[in-house]
Amino acid sequence: MSANAVPMSQWPSDHRYTIPVAGDQDMVTVTIDDKVVQVPRGQLLIAAAQEHGTYIPRFCWHERMKPVGMCRMCLVEVEGMRGLQISCATPVVDGMVVRTESAPVKAAQDGVLEMLLINHPLDCPVCDRGGECPLQDQTLAFGPGESRYVEEKRHFAKPIPISDLVMLDRERCIQCGRCTRFAAEIAGDALIDFGGRGGHTEVITYPDEPFSSYFSGNTVQICPVGALTAKPYRFRARPWDLDSVETSCQACAVGCRGALDSTSNRLVRLLGVDSEPVNHGWLCDKGRYGYEWVHSEARVRAPGLRRGMELEVTSWPQALDAAAAALRRVRDEHGPGAIGVLGGARGTNEDAYAWARFAKGVLRTDNVDAQLADGLPADVVLGMPRATIADLDRARAIVLLGPDLKEELPVLALRVRRAAVDLGVPLIDVAARDHGLTSSAAHVIRHAPGVVQEAVDQVASIIDGITGDGPVVVVLGRPSVAEPAAATIHAASQLAKSHGARFLSALRRGNVHGALDLGLAPGFLPGRVSLDAGRDHLSATWGGTPDATGFDATGILRAAANGTIKALVLVGCDLLTDFPDRALAREALSAVERVVCVGAFPDDSAERADVFLPTGVWGEQAGTTTNLEGRVSVLRRKITPEGRTMEGWRIAAELAARLGSDWDLETVEEVQDEIAQAAPAFAGVDAALLRRARDGVVLPLADHLDEVTFVPATPGAGVSWEPLRPAADEVGNGEVAAPPAPAVALHTWSMEAPAPAAAPRDSYALRVIAARTLYGNDRVTSESPSLARLATSDARLLVSARDRDRIGVEDGTVVRVTSPRASVELPIHVDRSTPEGFAFLATNRDGAGASDLIDLDAPVTDVRVETLS
Amino acid sequence: MGRLSGFRVTLAQVFKPKVTEHYPKEKRPKPERFHGRHVLNRYEDGMEKCIGCELCAGVCPAKCIYVRGADNPPDAPVSPGERYGFVYEINYLRCIHCDLCVEACPTEAITESKLFEFSFTNREDAIYTRDELLVDDEGRARRQPWELWHGGEDDRTSAWMRATAPSGSAEFEGRVSWSGELGFGVRLGEKGQSEESSP
Amino acid sequence: MGMETIPHNFLTARLEDLVKWARRSSVWPATFGLACCAMEMMATGAAHYDLARYGMEVFRASPRQADLMVVAGRLSQKMAPVLRQVYDQMVEPKWVISMGVCASTGGMFNNYALVQGVDQIVPVDVYVPGCPPGPETLMHGILTLHEQIRSGPLLARREAGRGAGIQIEQRDGQSPSGLAVAARSA
Repeated sequence: MSANAVPMSQWPSDHRYTIPVAGDQDMVTVTIDDKVVQVPRGQLLIAAAQEHGTYIPRFCWHERMKPVGMCRMCLVEVEGMRGLQISCATPVVDGMVVRTESAPVKAAQDGVLEMLLINHPLDCPVCDRGGECPLQDQTLAFGPGESRYVEEKRHFAKPIPISDLVMLDRERCIQCGRCTRFAAEIAGDALIDFGGRGGHTEVITYPDEPFSSYFSGNTVQICPVGALTAKPYRFRARPWDLDSVETSCQACAVGCRGALDSTSNRLVRLLGVDSEPVNHGWLCDKGRYGYEWVHSEARVRAPGLRRGMELEVTSWPQALDAAAAALRRVRDEHGPGAIGVLGGARGTNEDAYAWARFAKGVLRTDNVDAQLADGLPADVVLGMPRATIADLDRARAIVLLGPDLKEELPVLALRVRRAAVDLGVPLIDVAARDHGLTSSAAHVIRHAPGVVQEAVDQVASIIDGITGDGPVVVVLGRPSVAEPAAATIHAASQLAKSHGARFLSALRRGNVHGALDLGLAPGFLPGRVSLDAGRDHLSATWGGTPDATGFDATGILRAAANGTIKALVLVGCDLLTDFPDRALAREALSAVERVVCVGAFPDDSAERADVFLPTGVWGEQAGTTTNLEGRVSVLRRKITPEGRTMEGWRIAAELAARLGSDWDLETVEEVQDEIAQAAPAFAGVDAALLRRARDGVVLPLADHLDEVTFVPATPGAGVSWEPLRPAADEVGNGEVAAPPAPAVALHTWSMEAPAPAAAPRDSYALRVIAARTLYGNDRVTSESPSLARLATSDARLLVSARDRDRIGVEDGTVVRVTSPRASVELPIHVDRSTPEGFAFLATNRDGAGASDLIDLDAPVTDVRVETLS
Repeated sequence: MGRLSGFRVTLAQVFKPKVTEHYPKEKRPKPERFHGRHVLNRYEDGMEKCIGCELCAGVCPAKCIYVRGADNPPDAPVSPGERYGFVYEINYLRCIHCDLCVEACPTEAITESKLFEFSFTNREDAIYTRDELLVDDEGRARRQPWELWHGGEDDRTSAWMRATAPSGSAEFEGRVSWSGELGFGVRLGEKGQSEESSP
Repeated sequence: MGMETIPHNFLTARLEDLVKWARRSSVWPATFGLACCAMEMMATGAAHYDLARYGMEVFRASPRQADLMVVAGRLSQKMAPVLRQVYDQMVEPKWVISMGVCASTGGMFNNYALVQGVDQIVPVDVYVPGCPPGPETLMHGILTLHEQIRSGPLLARREAGRGAGIQIEQRDGQSPSGLAVAARSA
């Protein structure tokens, strides 16, 4: 390694980041403290030692970042090398003899710690890090015990809010550079850096520019001292108050693993857990600080029953009786097809299964959809050849054919960025406007919304020019809700056919993939089987299935509006804010006879509810969730819910019991076992397996069994922070019997998708791109006080500077925006990401906006902009 | 004589001074390091010493202390520094008066007085809040109406008698450590501290 | 007691005071020393503190002759039925002092073996803090009890124990396991 004299910054990236897999590379023999071990060539000494049981103290080195050697804490003695070496930047070579505890090393560690503590204030009692601080711990373990320094320490103004979420305390900073390196290397938005020289080096932000990264919370987590603290957690608890469970985040569909901390039955913190296949320890700020909404005062915590104008608080039996009676009457009078069930993409898999069973097995309606016309057809999502997030790292090329990942699936954006920037995977960005990953892309292809044929041809020729044996991974989502998904799907089908592309779904909602997998989609039954294919299998468990394929969300609302559908069950969704066509949603809600709302918040749709059934939410109920790669991971319950909420699956079971179908399900494990038995794609994924699979299991299990990492720990026992790297004999079949093959062949996508007719461009109109931003008027943001400060809740029309000038108004001027559907007044702003001729509208905003302008029947949404007189 | 020998013992006691203490009119003097009801101390300028660090709560074997910190309001700080004890509660029906909280306290905010005569008629009353535990403007414990104070129980409540304090040795009895404390004032330096280093 | 029929007036009010004075001047404790606190309780009865000054030097071994149960020490789950039986055997009027933190709340023994407060078993009139409470603290508790007797109702029976004020509520229509019972029958 040292022979070829390559600068460290240009090392092959697998030496910098990933842990080489045993057997893949040559192994070398290294002696660490008289212990002879075999480690992969080129691995860093500090990592090699740690894997073989020798902990070398460190501050600046972080497993997921490049070594810098700033703190000098990891000095070790290497035979034959002059002086002490920093083990974080020394790759192992054959025959190396290392001593980590010799007298010179001890002296160096003492010296380094004494120096670090010269200016470090000993305010551990008031410091949020106190009790879990690497500096504290390592001073205790390796430090000198006493300092010879008696002079006054440095003082700075503190704490300095460097963003709305992060506070900086320069006195405590030991200049390890973890935060600055994270911002530059991992997140790619270097809004925090070092300034000054020598003894005056300090962490700074750019003048007048806050550290407003979507990933700023990660710097707080990896800070080895209390220099960076998070406002939401500031002084809320001390480490010894906290009780942790490992769970998955449900803020978006990435399903990052995290450790959820609570004290006194309140959630106070979510920390990223290093899960090798998913999030590498990172979280986005929305996931990290979005636990606060769980304690929102606005939540409904008791069932409600409409009497007159008001929803009155009532008891569970009364509310359930009323809901069951309403649904029974509609079913008996108008047939099962008169009931529609919408939503269910935010709960657990168990909730989704129970609602699917309730809708399809008990009510026998197939008018069920978990997506609200803002995603992709279930046919595509359930049947497309899937990739995993880890496939990004070894892909031949990555094609972005979906929304702005940084806004919708932030941690997936980190993984894509890592693959593109660190691992050199060519990233092909196909989009209508610039977004968070554009700067990392090797090829940028721009197209007009709804017109993708040219772009696909370009992608195909670029991929043809790339050699490599990995799969082509397409990140497939809905780039804009202002146009139907047809164009995107057509592009995907072409790439699938021509290049054998594998797909990573970019649907956003927390558990939308679990909901689709478990049958909350028209024409499908739980376990990725179509209604016709799975009818016999599911009828055996359920006693019946719908007779005919039903409508999707748009169809359900149209049918409700024209009176075919008489009752709606809304499971954790607010039609008036979530559905992209607000007029249709409003019409449907006012036309139906009965609305049963199941949710956590009294949202706008609940105004229309006849019965409101409050559910427990993330952190309050146990279960599983499925992320965008189809990984089923365990959600744990951390707090006891306040009030009288009930788990979602239990509500469905109660309603079913009242409609004459006793499911005999009493615990969440029993639901999991029933899913494993009934849903073909979940074959083998039972409660016993889920308990032991640390990072979850990817469906279908038979194809991914060798990727499962088993933990011996009992459920709920502690948090395993480090990525687990089991020895070979602990993987796969050594631990678990081969899973049963799915009872029914799983659905596959035919890859037949006709190209939509290109909509003619109207040169006077701006074509709308409507998509979400990370912070908006969604409940996770608006009900979490820390995040609500970050959100811009007012709708804006973002256009290019030339379009703005052509209209001839100033930034911020309110203009009239007219689509064929409606006319709204919005302030106009210049946006550098939006190309000429287009306009960007964020959908998750309060008031009139995108969802008033969008007509779901139209192939695109063109708007004209006029100045107000 | 055998039958009367018992009376001799009785008779001998008659002339000895009576040992009975007439509680509640009088109380026995408490030992210097008696562990009684806690007080939360304040600095000479009136600032609270408690910084809400929860070390006392962490070390408490009976889990009788509940502390929550909060950001010090910058315009009207409660204690010096960034953080102050926002909630401070001790449940005297759990407290075993082991004084580990006093040992753990980094600012000598919590110490114990020698008052030990109190009782409650329900559980809620036994939870002392921050207002009840804080010393008054003179630096003396607030005497709650249900407690039986007979004078000297809050003398020398300061942290000089911590086992881990240098002044915990006998020759420093009564000489408290260096922090300026309400009721005790600025104190002499201790062994190992020069006079100059005292404020 | 036969006094229930006496109407309240000036004379009977003074009689009530007399009865209360008599009661509080001769509260006879039942021995219920469970642990170390019992040592302090014994010390309270001995010469230095001399409970006889309050007319309560006679610790009765028979609950029938006792008015006051001083629960002195931690109460194990196994002992709890015995404690309750002894309490039930005492005749009205009767009082309970929970002496020491273990008896009051479980103290530092927050574990499966101990009752977390004897007020979950018997109604407690006075809680005496300390681990253990000194004789003077116990006497403070006894004086608090005297005040309770003096100012309290003459004839009311004790309410059931309130414990820590924790009430286990059953959800509507649900068995404690969280499973709906009503639904099953529907």
